[in-house]
Amino acid sequence: MQIVTIRHSKINIVPLLLICLLICLSGCQTRSKQSSCVRCHKGIEHVSKTHGDCTICHGGMPREELKENAHKGLFGSANPEYIGRWENGCAPCHRYQFERMKSNLMYTAAGMIRNTQLTWEGEDGNSYTTHGEKQFDASGKHFSPKPVAELDNLSGELYRKFCARCHVGAETSGVYAASHASGCAACHFPWNNEGTYEGNDKTMKGKAGHSASHAMTPLPDTQVCSRCHNRSGRIAFSYQGLYDGNNGLVPTRNGEAGPVMTSGARNLTHITPDVHFAAGMTCIDCHTSRDVMGDGFAYRNMYLQTEISCEDCHGGAADVPRYREIIRENDEALRESRSYKQPNTYGMRMIQTAKGRPYSNVFFRDNIIWLQGKQSGKLHRSKVITGTPEHTIVGHGRLECYACHSRTSVQCYGCHTRYDKSKTGMDFIKGVETPGAFSETEDYRMLYPFPLALNQRGRISPVTPGCQTFITVAEADGSQSKTEYVSKFKGAQQLRFAPFYSHNTGKKAIGCAECHGNPDFLGFGQHIMEGNTITGTLICERSDSKPLDGFLTMKNGRVNAYSAITRENSRPLNGIEVKRTLSVNLCLPCHDKARDPIYRKGINLRALDDTLHRQLLSGQ
Amino acid sequence: MRWMILCIVSFCLANSVSAAATATHVGMACASCHRQGGSESDPAARSHRAGGCVSCHQGHERIFDHAMGQRSGEKEFVQRSYGRFDSGFWEKNCNSCHLKGCLDCHSDGGMSTPSVAACQRCHNGYYTGWDYSGRAPREDNIRYQRGIAVNGAPFLKMLPDVHYSAGMTCGACHSMKSLAEGKKSSHGCLDCHKPSPKVLEHRIPAHLQRLECYACHSAWAPQEYGTFFLRFRDQRDKDDFDLTQGASVEYLRSAYLKKQDAPPLGINSRGKVSPIRPMFIAYYTDIMTAKNNGPENTLLAAEWRAYFPHTVQRGSVTCEACHDNPTRFLMEPESRRIYNLQKDGMGLESFWSQRGQRVSNGSFMDAARYLRMSSKSPAYTKAYITKWKTFLNRVENSSQN
Repeated sequence: MQIVTIRHSKINIVPLLLICLLICLSGCQTRSKQSSCVRCHKGIEHVSKTHGDCTICHGGMPREELKENAHKGLFGSANPEYIGRWENGCAPCHRYQFERMKSNLMYTAAGMIRNTQLTWEGEDGNSYTTHGEKQFDASGKHFSPKPVAELDNLSGELYRKFCARCHVGAETSGVYAASHASGCAACHFPWNNEGTYEGNDKTMKGKAGHSASHAMTPLPDTQVCSRCHNRSGRIAFSYQGLYDGNNGLVPTRNGEAGPVMTSGARNLTHITPDVHFAAGMTCIDCHTSRDVMGDGFAYRNMYLQTEISCEDCHGGAADVPRYREIIRENDEALRESRSYKQPNTYGMRMIQTAKGRPYSNVFFRDNIIWLQGKQSGKLHRSKVITGTPEHTIVGHGRLECYACHSRTSVQCYGCHTRYDKSKTGMDFIKGVETPGAFSETEDYRMLYPFPLALNQRGRISPVTPGCQTFITVAEADGSQSKTEYVSKFKGAQQLRFAPFYSHNTGKKAIGCAECHGNPDFLGFGQHIMEGNTITGTLICERSDSKPLDGFLTMKNGRVNAYSAITRENSRPLNGIEVKRTLSVNLCLPCHDKARDPIYRKGINLRALDDTLHRQLLSGQ
Repeated sequence: MRWMILCIVSFCLANSVSAAATATHVGMACASCHRQGGSESDPAARSHRAGGCVSCHQGHERIFDHAMGQRSGEKEFVQRSYGRFDSGFWEKNCNSCHLKGCLDCHSDGGMSTPSVAACQRCHNGYYTGWDYSGRAPREDNIRYQRGIAVNGAPFLKMLPDVHYSAGMTCGACHSMKSLAEGKKSSHGCLDCHKPSPKVLEHRIPAHLQRLECYACHSAWAPQEYGTFFLRFRDQRDKDDFDLTQGASVEYLRSAYLKKQDAPPLGINSRGKVSPIRPMFIAYYTDIMTAKNNGPENTLLAAEWRAYFPHTVQRGSVTCEACHDNPTRFLMEPESRRIYNLQKDGMGLESFWSQRGQRVSNGSFMDAARYLRMSSKSPAYTKAYITKWKTFLNRVENSSQN
């Protein structure tokens, strides 16, 4: 293998060097004689070795001496969303990535818009995206969603005034720790916490609204992702072991609110981080480029666009991870690994994602699955669990890995949203301030324990409030047309939980008795048991009979579900399933290890009445 | 008609007398209560030991000598914690619950037996009393200070105590006589209730011998982990702290974390297993000092108190919530740790670790005893299985959705 590589490099290196030399020389000439760009922007960092003259990406008039004239025709500078900058600057060379991004949920925000609709007025039969551009659906058919500007109701407005700040098609500035550029630059030209340029170009130094450096980041780090993924599910925080929990603003740091501050005047305290983060892995070490930039097809929600799963690297109960050898020169795994410390080579056996596409950094070698840190180059050995007794418990076949392996799962209970027509709010899509401002208050936040329910795959997964929205609408005259209103979902006025992977994974699983013995995990919330009744102790403000932090009650032996689980085919556990789960408690005091052979076959509760058990239980 | 007359009488009295008096006082001469004039004209004032009232209500003035009047426990706590940095801390932050006289409690709608609400004018927030009506403190950030409120203080709606739901007032267990005698209450659980042997847990002798009833029957308890008092010399420094202003403008109060689930357990002064809660894990930051690189988040006390949450329910948690839950006894295994206090410079390794903490009116359960308690003897196993079997036999397979 090594020999092949060397021979390849011998053939290619001579013409490559010549081309590079030519580019460099022509570049120098242009700059010294013609380009006024670097005369002002002296010391500015090179984007990368492969990116050439300024005007190729930025446009403008490089022969003009005066700033005003030289900046004429800069791509996209007239548009608040900088549309045109990445179309003209990046897309001519990076057509493949650009086209994918146009269908990517981080750009279209179709999932966010739809979920907002479900929470407020319900769906209206149309699909909406941020800009309403034509797309291909997952089956490859053309379809034309409507632009969200045309969604003329509270859902549309909430998205445009609240959620749109995290849409990668638009720049967000002036928000501490959450500002980012628009388009490709949102991730590949990261901003610092203040959003100021801090490179070597003195004309730009300290100016807000620019990336921290002009050097490109081909492989964005966790900080880049956390600019947006810090609210709602807050996965970027949980992953790093940060919690914006109670927002108590303590302990202080140097007399300021602390210990770590982030956007929205929120403070972050430290919790145990995800085991992958602790090992030095970043977001993109698991998430493929198709996860984060799309694969060219439009999906309705992120859980459909995401192509990876835990089982890809760690194996399932019965199936080991799959791999595919690199045999073509246009293999994505070759191209995508160009910036890695150790680029892939022909013949490598790349592990496949749940959608059957190759990872660019996970491979099978010497009977071991290795993951290469995309930025660090560090090799991580992936433990395969297939066939191990702990993972082949009969009845656990439906569990998502993270049902047991989540250390915590962020749960925000009670999201009280107020829409006040006497105030104005910025519409970030339309670019104008319009009447109507949103504000939010909350009831209670918690991390552990967390409820489980069936997700869209029919698997048992952690669920989190998504959302428990209570809507208050204040009219311009101060009167309230809606007060703490709960909207309809699936035909009934009810709150909702959503299947959720918190990204706070632990190596050690939740213990058997910890889960089976605590009905919190089934969705009863914090509770007490009396006879055959389970009563919640944290109660919804709007109803005395309904716990706020759960979705099940049991009265006189009867299980009642009063909240919905979002997504198709999702639902809370039913009476039979609740009973079956709690029945395991009859075995657990003695058979308390997951590897116990009784769990290799279905539990036979009648065994408790056999001679052996009767003897044991009578203490003889 | 009778009510109308009463209303008119009380209205007239309310206009003519500083405090409304009930019917029993109506026929009495004014001077039988208002015996002295001048600055001592208030017959119910503590300043002259309620001289006007105690001529009939003999001995009741002794309430001023006990906990509610003296608050010596609280004062001593402040002295050994915040008082070390600010000798005026008590006056600034703790003086709103000062007992000034009989009318503090006996003034609602005429001179009357105090209602639950009257007691809760002081016994609210983190202090026992609010919980009785199903109220738990909310997080201090204004984002969480929302929703239903009483006297301007919003609370989390919790399951109220069964006695409250049955219409019982505080006085049903805490008679005036008992308070005047310096006792905590006039009635204990066993004065009214006999533990039924039909309940499996009651048939376990160790439970009845070693546990307070409310170790199991307290459904929930407010718990404040890490109480912070931030001292501001310059009011402008408050701008970044979205917290509710308390009694003193010099201070803002916040907390690291609040919970209100089943409380941790320890041993109380009677040697019985009892709920315990932080009171207080106290931190202090002088903002100006901290800004000049001085100390901040100084841990002044890590004290817990054994107490009786007023959240009684007939039901209880399951067996493993105590017998298989070392965290509940502040023996959290490191592998289960969620909050990383060390990284935040909090001076404790965990709130649920006994190390560096103490119970001011009792003790933590020792490790050997917990080990014995959590070892699954045949008797435990048998009772455990019986418990779940009884429960499961009464759970239906169907469900309503």
